[in-house]
Amino acid sequence: MRIVVAHAQVPFAHGGAEVLAERLTEELNARDHQTALVTVPFKWYPRERVLESAFVWRMLDLEEVEGRKVDLLIATKFPSYAVRHPRKRVWLVHQFRQAYDLDRTDLAEFGESAVDRATRRKIHELDRRTLGEAERRFAISQNVADRLHDALGLDAEVVLPPPQELDYRFEEYGDFVLSVGRLDRAKRVDLLLEAAAEDPSLRVVVAGDGPDRARLENVARSHELNGQVEFRGRVDADELADLYARAGAVYYAPIDEDYGMVPYEAFLSEKPVVTTTDAGGPLDVVADRLTGLVTAPRARDLAAALRHLREHPEDRRAWGKAGKAKAEKVTWDAAIDRLLS
Amino acid sequence: MKVAYFSPLPPERSGIADYSALLLPALRERIDVEAVDRGQRKPPRGTDLCVYHVGNNPDVHGWIVDALKRTPGVVVLHDFVLHHLVAGLTLARKDVAGYLNAMEREAGLPGRLLALGVVDGCVPPLWSTRPEDFALAGDVLDLARDHGLIVHSEHVRARALATGFDGPIWRIPMPVWPAPPTAPAAVDGDPVIGSFGFLNANKRIPQLLEAFAALRARHPGARLLLVGPEAPGLELERRVASLGLEDAVERHGYVDEAQFWSLLAACDVAVSLRWPTMGETSAGAIRVLSLAKPLIVSDVDAFRELPDDVVLKVAPDEREVETLTAALLALAEDPARRESFSEAARAYAAREHELGHVADLYVAALEEAAGGPAVREALLREVAERAAEVELDDPDRIAAALREVGLGR
Repeated sequence: MRIVVAHAQVPFAHGGAEVLAERLTEELNARDHQTALVTVPFKWYPRERVLESAFVWRMLDLEEVEGRKVDLLIATKFPSYAVRHPRKRVWLVHQFRQAYDLDRTDLAEFGESAVDRATRRKIHELDRRTLGEAERRFAISQNVADRLHDALGLDAEVVLPPPQELDYRFEEYGDFVLSVGRLDRAKRVDLLLEAAAEDPSLRVVVAGDGPDRARLENVARSHELNGQVEFRGRVDADELADLYARAGAVYYAPIDEDYGMVPYEAFLSEKPVVTTTDAGGPLDVVADRLTGLVTAPRARDLAAALRHLREHPEDRRAWGKAGKAKAEKVTWDAAIDRLLS
Repeated sequence: MKVAYFSPLPPERSGIADYSALLLPALRERIDVEAVDRGQRKPPRGTDLCVYHVGNNPDVHGWIVDALKRTPGVVVLHDFVLHHLVAGLTLARKDVAGYLNAMEREAGLPGRLLALGVVDGCVPPLWSTRPEDFALAGDVLDLARDHGLIVHSEHVRARALATGFDGPIWRIPMPVWPAPPTAPAAVDGDPVIGSFGFLNANKRIPQLLEAFAALRARHPGARLLLVGPEAPGLELERRVASLGLEDAVERHGYVDEAQFWSLLAACDVAVSLRWPTMGETSAGAIRVLSLAKPLIVSDVDAFRELPDDVVLKVAPDEREVETLTAALLALAEDPARRESFSEAARAYAAREHELGHVADLYVAALEEAAGGPAVREALLREVAERAAEVELDDPDRIAAALREVGLGR
């Protein structure tokens, strides 16, 4: 089949969603499909740019290319699914959450003016129509599927995306807790820093970069965590695999995350994951005292959970191995079978 | 965003006043909304959007339409037939031309001639005799065109569209007061059938009495509660006597809220028939469903939209009495069926008419109405400017694409 993978891209940003779109394209090509990744830049500010970005997708003609039909289109995140195609499927990474569950929160994009409120409603309407017209809808996690259903009454089947390819291995349960991910407020790395402040014996390695890095470094300084917390910045694949292989445990507790590859990556290195009760997607796979620990989103509770793992090597080993068994079932073969079925 | 809310409110006695008394607090939890005092014609300073509740009673809604004419906004259309309202806003104010024009708009020259007959006194007032034939909603719909219309049923949406209305329309279910915990009134009868609300010919009371008489022939213990004031000319007492139902019919006039719920709770089956309708949605019927009572309605207009597993429907045709009798018998003689309707009614009322759900839909509609045109215009301008910069001009394709994703008009 000739397949287009449609993906909205914030230039220079490269996170889990981008990895997913790229890998999906590669994996489809590896299975003898002719697949192209089509990206269009996305800008969400000022607010009117959101709808313009969506409309650009609508104006694209991807039904055929060079006179040859495109058999299937798989759109990923907002607003790529606004594109028109008779066989449009959506593997929903996320909607524009600022128009939904993040509205009127610290992460809000829209104010209280009539125009802001109406823009948000227009996004709902656009989503309702363009997601509604899709031949099939999939979501990358139960959390994303639930949000879609709650907001628009549309159903989606859950197809978990496999983690990125790394040299996953287990070397040891080292003396540090690893945090992996883009540094923005929603990833809630500051909670981990506060836990480190609660427990001076806790060592933390933060892998990743992003707009929140300077603030987080200030938080670390203000808590006098020098020597306790290390910001590695963006790390390459080898270094990341090495960190996973040597970490004692992995922390991953964004606020109501869509999905999150990090727990799967941690599990493939046999590391237990500590998350919070409000983390969203990670709760699909991190089960308390089965594959890690799920705590209240409080520094004291998080510190206690991380201490427990340090002090109970038998638990972290058992939970890490149980996680690995789960993660190994999430494969590209399984995902592509469902997406093309 | 600030909304000015024009509606009758308690202590004014009107179904729409009760509706707003229920809805307003829920809206206030979600948006900045200010109820405008009766008689005010201008919205408060800083208002982004006005909402006008329009029904057929000129005494209750005349001032609201006056305000709507000054400042257009979203219209909540409670009745589609507005003949009585229009007559009150024109003839009652000595604006004969206004009435003639409204009738001509509705029905062409014959309509104008008919209206002249009304003015001259040689044709009985149409708002009393044939309002359903001349709805006269056109002028109010014109005033709603720019900001939009809120309706309670697909029936009214379809009728508005049939007039050529091309503004936004939102269908929002009517909110219902949560049924209070109620002890059933002591009513001696088995089964107990109830009809609630104004008693007149439109509510098919004569047909109900005949069908009830047939039910009673098979079920001598059956009792009929008729709750509500009686319209002049109905001759209820004579009709009851002629059917020999004096011992089986229990009359209540106007009852307060507590009595209403308690009498309804005593019923095994409620009947809410209506024909012709004024395009309204029956708040009474929705209340019956919220108390999980099996309900029989007329198979017409907005009533027809109630799901078949929630209500039994009776067409107002030549076999109406026969069908109604069969429906009453079916429910009287089959407790399992009553239970099934009861459960479906409870679930339907909770799903469709729950106050929070309705308030959310209102807020979505009002937010879109208040800022939607500006958002749409800004996007159109941007797209058009970019297209013009590169001398591309395919407005039809652009307009079609905008409409497809809900960004056009």
